[in-house]
Amino acid sequence: MNKTNSNVSTHALIDSATSVWGKYLLGMFALALPGVLLYHDAHWINIIAFTYLMAGVAAAWNIIGGFGGQFSLGHGVFFSIGAYATARIYISFDLSPWLITLPIAVCAAAVAALISWPTFRLRGPFFAIATLAFNEVAFVLANHFDSLTGGPRGLMISFKASLGNMIFKDRWQYAILMFGFVALVVAVSVALRRTRLGYYLLAVREDEDSARASGIDVLKVKLQGMALSAALTSVGGTLFAMYLRFIDPPTLFTLPEVGVKFALISLIGGIGTIAGPVLGAVLIIPFENYLRAEFANSLPGMSLVILGFLMVMAALFMKKGVYGLLLDILQKIKGKKGDAP
Amino acid sequence: MTAMLDIQHASKHFLGLRAVDDVSMSVKKGEIVSIIGPNGAGKTTFFNLITGQLAPTMGDVVFLGQKVNDLAPHQRAKIGMGRTFQISKPLIAMSVLENVMIGTFKNESSMNRAKEKAIEVLETVSMLDLAGKRSGDLTLSQRRRLEVARALALEPQIMLLDEVMAGLNQSEVSQSIELLQRLHAQGHTFLIIEHNLKVVRAFSERVLVLDQGRLIAEGSAEEILNAPEVIKAYLGEGHQWKKS
Repeated sequence: MNKTNSNVSTHALIDSATSVWGKYLLGMFALALPGVLLYHDAHWINIIAFTYLMAGVAAAWNIIGGFGGQFSLGHGVFFSIGAYATARIYISFDLSPWLITLPIAVCAAAVAALISWPTFRLRGPFFAIATLAFNEVAFVLANHFDSLTGGPRGLMISFKASLGNMIFKDRWQYAILMFGFVALVVAVSVALRRTRLGYYLLAVREDEDSARASGIDVLKVKLQGMALSAALTSVGGTLFAMYLRFIDPPTLFTLPEVGVKFALISLIGGIGTIAGPVLGAVLIIPFENYLRAEFANSLPGMSLVILGFLMVMAALFMKKGVYGLLLDILQKIKGKKGDAP
Repeated sequence: MTAMLDIQHASKHFLGLRAVDDVSMSVKKGEIVSIIGPNGAGKTTFFNLITGQLAPTMGDVVFLGQKVNDLAPHQRAKIGMGRTFQISKPLIAMSVLENVMIGTFKNESSMNRAKEKAIEVLETVSMLDLAGKRSGDLTLSQRRRLEVARALALEPQIMLLDEVMAGLNQSEVSQSIELLQRLHAQGHTFLIIEHNLKVVRAFSERVLVLDQGRLIAEGSAEEILNAPEVIKAYLGEGHQWKKS
């Protein structure tokens, strides 16, 4: 074994706060760029706004699904809580969505903790299957309780544009809103990664028994991660409802469009990393829109076939996602430079 | 002086099998106690009863004067039990430093403080040069050392080491022994499962022998290695240790 070199630089091992937040600002700047450049293009700004939203929700999912390693496919439930509660309260009581977003998010966190408490005893695929079931149950409930959810007819929010109503005349204003959301979620992720809870989530993901031996209350850590993730997902649901101004059960509970999609975006981009989910959304959402438009008339459904194929390929050959792949390539280039005499 | 760890009539039955059968023992502060025994003697099961991974069928575990039977493993870790696993369980995607920080976070809520303490721990176990390495890329002996570092990071009252030298070569074993002796000199208390009798002889103050779940002998290393029941359990009747 090597003699310990006491001069080893241990400062570089964990990025300093300045460097991490510097990277964050840089990333957010890059993410904002297309929105700024294309704000006048009605077609593109719509896609960009939706990309920001999905990036934010995928990053929220990544907190428990990526950092915590709990592969939830039931996040559609929390998304729907945000969407339904916002729409219902706004329609019935005319309260500004800005005021109720946070209380609703807290409720979603509570629901998440409640339904996760029994399911967190399950590990791996069994946990994923159980969360799938939550999504289906919520689907049935949403159809059934039509006094709250409007049932199969859904809820329609009438168009009264004002900042207080979180309803806007121009699409670029929504893009700013959604950008604010993804900036918030990524900031929370960056901060979380530098806290005890963030480290504990990773430890739980890596090995539960080993985490316990280090004094970690595994169930508590999972519940905290899930609650935080669900709260942020619910905020995404709020924005989604005010953006579409129409929600119904198929929009909110179709797995490939909502619950599973959050996970897939993270998976493709790079699960468990901070940039991965955002990168995944940036790649997938515009591409999906393009495919849908391209094949709408000639081969309807073809876009799903292509996307599905790409996802299978990504799962097989890019286990660390696009972000992981980029890092590996960067590493190799650096390594080669280092090897050169 | 009262015992730090006191096991009273602990038993663990798996259906008909008595993996641990009415074992009582204790460890005092500052001691190094070893548990030896042939494969399947119940050593690891016994460890798991102490640290809470398994609940005893009968008997009590008393730690620092407190009965801890009902405490979960993480609670026992919090009050001062640091353990390693026979099959080492590093958090492979994380760096060596981060692995140790998972331990130091027990007493430090700030990341920077946890990091500083983790660096101190790595210095103690002479692993500072590996701090940035992904723990999944470590060699077996480095992994075993990391297990000790992670236990040490908890600032435990007692360290329970489950075969931390298994699979190591001679020089790695002597380095490990040297490390444990150094930690012992700093006042750490150890309960150790060890397969390698040479290791046991080198630094144990007291040795317990388990065979088929039962405590068959207890004494100093020399006494134990010459006890007829131990020779019988290890080698069979009428045999002797090879001179070494």
